[in-house]
Amino acid sequence: MRQEPIDPAGIQWTRVSPSYAKVRMVGWAIGALITLLVLSVPLVLVLTGVWEGFPLWLAIAAPAVVVAVEVIRLVLIPRQVAAIGYAEREDDLLVRHGLMFQKVLVVPYGRMQFVDVAVGPIDRMLGLCKVKLHTAAADATAEIPGLPVAEGTRLREQLAARGESRLAGL
Amino acid sequence: MTPGRALPVPGPGETDGQDTPEAPWHRVHPVSPLVRGWIAVVAIAFVYGQNTLSSFFGEEEPNPGPDFISRTPLMVSLLVGAGILLLILLGFFGTWWFTKYQITERHVNVNTGMVFRQQRQARIDRVQSIDIAQPLVARIFGLAELRFDVADSGSAAMNLAFVKLSEAHQLRNEILARAAGLKAPAPQAPPLPAQPDAVPVTGQTPDPAAPQEAALEAPAPGYASASASLAASERVVAVVPTGRLIGSILLRPSTILMVLGIIGLGIAMSTIEGFAPFYLLPAFLGMAGALWNNLNTGYNFRAATSADGLRLSYGLLDTRHQTVPPGRVQAIKVTAPFFWRPLGWYRVAVNVAGIGGGAANDAEQRSVLLPVGSYEDVLAVLSVVLPAPGVAAPRDFFAAAINGSGTEGGFVVSPPRVRPLSPLAHKRQGYALTDTALVARNGALHRTIAIVPHARTQGLTLSQGPLARRFGVVDLSLATIAGPVVPLVHQLDVASGRELFLEQADRAAAARRQTDSNHWLGDA
Repeated sequence: MRQEPIDPAGIQWTRVSPSYAKVRMVGWAIGALITLLVLSVPLVLVLTGVWEGFPLWLAIAAPAVVVAVEVIRLVLIPRQVAAIGYAEREDDLLVRHGLMFQKVLVVPYGRMQFVDVAVGPIDRMLGLCKVKLHTAAADATAEIPGLPVAEGTRLREQLAARGESRLAGL
Repeated sequence: MTPGRALPVPGPGETDGQDTPEAPWHRVHPVSPLVRGWIAVVAIAFVYGQNTLSSFFGEEEPNPGPDFISRTPLMVSLLVGAGILLLILLGFFGTWWFTKYQITERHVNVNTGMVFRQQRQARIDRVQSIDIAQPLVARIFGLAELRFDVADSGSAAMNLAFVKLSEAHQLRNEILARAAGLKAPAPQAPPLPAQPDAVPVTGQTPDPAAPQEAALEAPAPGYASASASLAASERVVAVVPTGRLIGSILLRPSTILMVLGIIGLGIAMSTIEGFAPFYLLPAFLGMAGALWNNLNTGYNFRAATSADGLRLSYGLLDTRHQTVPPGRVQAIKVTAPFFWRPLGWYRVAVNVAGIGGGAANDAEQRSVLLPVGSYEDVLAVLSVVLPAPGVAAPRDFFAAAINGSGTEGGFVVSPPRVRPLSPLAHKRQGYALTDTALVARNGALHRTIAIVPHARTQGLTLSQGPLARRFGVVDLSLATIAGPVVPLVHQLDVASGRELFLEQADRAAAARRQTDSNHWLGDA
């Protein structure tokens, strides 16, 4: 996995499953379709002659811009998924994500309140799951999507065990 | 019918944490339902009185009813009134009768409700702190409400309303002493000298946030006198004079905006014909409410140290007594707003576990440790909530943190190349490390510092947007529980930010290993 400038030195990142991109694409498709449909309403109205006062160029431009933006987003999805990584250290879990807006998060096992494993319908089809480590702080919630189920289960067990052995108060 | 003061005292053989079945139930003060429901009483009396009186003495009836009502003699009307009154009194009596509390060796139980019974139980060793609140009407009767904060719950888990103020103080001290694991002497026995290492016999892992260690640090000659010594060991560290409080409220940006707004409206009204400023009334009322809130919660503010933490008392109409145990403080913020700076005034607020939840307003006022104070007051408050600052000269260090700039005091600041992004703040924003905490400094005009003890670090986030990447800087934010403090180190050089990130994570882990196995008061 590529080392970004903000990645801490000496960390071996584990990538999430590349097929997680499909999960993201399904979500993208639904969102893009709805936006496009809504923004195409004026165009349909203008073309059918119901709303002649609406400028034609605007009726065309709005959906066109949406299509362009959504295509860029679609192209970025595989790279965004590739940018998600996690690493287990002795005392904490590191998670990184983001291309444009990069983020690296470290959460100590001892601060863990509970671990979630969530599986959506598309996730299930692809045999993926999402592991979420919750702490008392809302912004220190480590979320690793797109894990193969076996790896997710292993990670959950591992986190729970390590959380217990390093249990700290609040 | 005053409830008994004496707490249940366990027999000699009952120290293994079993609830004493014969622990007596106490009732709250008999006028408490009235204190709670007085608005309803006044409203009913007003409506009934007005209707009745107007039907007898009024020129014309507001609601001309059927004949038989207007012809009913005065006697019947009075009887109906008496009946309503009796019903209310019965309701009050019932509420009072069914509200009972019990304090056993291990639990505080509160039963309420006449029709829908509710039984609440809180484990004494989980009681984090107890606030004493006195709403205005309760104050008239000399009563107070006890609010229990329990470790597992987000907000005040249990209320006990109302008992006499003196009794509230005593109960509070006794429950906290009991939470600290101090055992009661046998009923007939003279007060025994308690062992200084009297650990609560609960068999659970000691919670570092619990006030028990704090209480143990106090000289505790015996259970009965432990409460007395807890109460007596208060030492006032900071007070807010009324003049300074009013000045600080006047010098808030919101107040200044409001005054400017009123002046502007006055000018507008005098020049524009038919301009109605009433539409802006709600906004002004809202602002006035905020001002009032500041005045009410800052009035007569007093911070005192005690064995179980920082004790705050404040309030103009509604008074509160609140305890902040240092072990529960997750992050501290010292603010120097622009207009306060010439006067040398500061404000201190904290993130405390358990306060983040609950009503927003309540949470906000409860997280303020010092509404406005001098630098000496800030140091005094800090010395209680941050017992081990971890620097050789805390006075100079915090002066550099709050008012300094550049690298003095060991601060690492943004590289000079971010000048275009933050022309004023780049010399100030940065961080410094002490042995026990990370101090994040921000803001050039509105200056803030955030202090996060290493052992309380919940997580770290390193983030970088496209613009920051161009300038080669990163933001480091420290995760903490919900509260007014949002610790953030702004625009650090990428290399040093990366380094700090892992170092700080390791430091947090090391600090956690130390403090969690020891007392949080920091002998390690």
